[in-house]
Amino acid sequence: MRAHGTSEGLRARDVRVTLAGRCVLDGAGVSVPRAQVTALVAPSGAGKSTLLRALVRLVATDRGSITLDGEDVHAIDPRDLRRRVGLVAQMPVMLPGSVADNLRHGVDDLGDDELHAALDAASLDAASAVRVARELSGGERARVALARALTRRPEVLLLDEPTAALDAAAARRIGESLRGLRDRGLAICVATHDAGFVAAWADRSEGLP
Amino acid sequence: MSAILAKIVAAAGFAGVAVALAVRMRLGLAREIALASLRAGVQLAAVGAAIALVFRYPALAFVFVGVMVLTAGLTAGGRLRGLPGARRRALVAIAVPALVATGALLLVGAFALSARAGVPTAGILIGGALAATTLTGRRLLESLVDEAGEIEARLCLGDDARGALAPAVRRAVTTGLIPVIDQTRSVGLVTLPGTFVGLVLGGASAAQAAATQLVVLLALVAVELGAGLLLAELTQRALIEPGERVALPHVDR
Repeated sequence: MRAHGTSEGLRARDVRVTLAGRCVLDGAGVSVPRAQVTALVAPSGAGKSTLLRALVRLVATDRGSITLDGEDVHAIDPRDLRRRVGLVAQMPVMLPGSVADNLRHGVDDLGDDELHAALDAASLDAASAVRVARELSGGERARVALARALTRRPEVLLLDEPTAALDAAAARRIGESLRGLRDRGLAICVATHDAGFVAAWADRSEGLP
Repeated sequence: MSAILAKIVAAAGFAGVAVALAVRMRLGLAREIALASLRAGVQLAAVGAAIALVFRYPALAFVFVGVMVLTAGLTAGGRLRGLPGARRRALVAIAVPALVATGALLLVGAFALSARAGVPTAGILIGGALAATTLTGRRLLESLVDEAGEIEARLCLGDDARGALAPAVRRAVTTGLIPVIDQTRSVGLVTLPGTFVGLVLGGASAAQAAATQLVVLLALVAVELGAGLLLAELTQRALIEPGERVALPHVDR
């Protein structure tokens, strides 16, 4: 992981997104400061996923500002942005091959130590590296997706409903992983409507209009 | 009975047998077979008349080939709904490799530089390009929908848009080329292709027929690969937006 200073992290203000001619998000925003777990709380369908995708420029915004440490994200190369701001989808898709192949995708210089550190940070044991990624359970996939995002050495992590379809034990492991990453200085945002998870693991919460 | 009349009678006989079998077995296909047979007869008669006209006025060959390309583009484009500008892109994907290859074959002397040689050569290559374009395009569009999650996962991991689309593009181009590769592999063993049969029936030697078939077949491989790659490239250009974003299409299936 990179060392992090006292910079402000990721911040979005007054974001509007129009998809296929329909406004799906208007006036949305969130602040994701360093070394904190921020919960983005809103009911299903309120636009949480769209906002997260807008933060990493997977969808275009037609209004508003999004900054990373004060820099407009549109001034950052999208590939660099998506490495610096890791997005873990609600239903993470595994790429072909092993767990290690997934973690090494696009990170050619990833050493074994760093691979194992990412697995450990996501509460996965080293032996899981050789497993076939597409044969994992939902909870394991969620943690592999988290570890995979970590191998990009991100500054910010965005997680979309990370506990959806997970049992209590798997959700607790995700929460423990996030707390450990927060303590290392990462800015973390969890979009969720799971009030129990927010109460147990979030430092602060924000809503959507 | 003249040879032409004998062929028409034989063709009608086969159509009659197929219709009778369909009726006897209650397949519900009799009407469709009868109409398809009739339509084929009318179309071939029209094409025969048009080609006779082209042979008399060779400049009309350009019009004839243009109509073939246009029809192929509209046909393939109609099967690629969901892709913006599908007909225009399909037309380019078919026309460029098919016409370049036709021109090359005529210019190097593989076939005589005449309407009599040029029109059938273009027809075969346009037909091959049409098949490859349709197959590649359909497979690509389906992959883009089915694998939307994987494409987005790759983007999230820092791949550029082309890198994220690359596995789907490779699979589509490969799929589009399977029929012509199989045809090339099995030529002479499983089937005797149309060019070979036509030349032999027309009185050419077996060696002449084989050489002509070989050049047509291998030109088809190149043309179909070119058409598939060109369509894939044009599709990517249509879908990739600024900021390494991919606007995934919607496909009705």
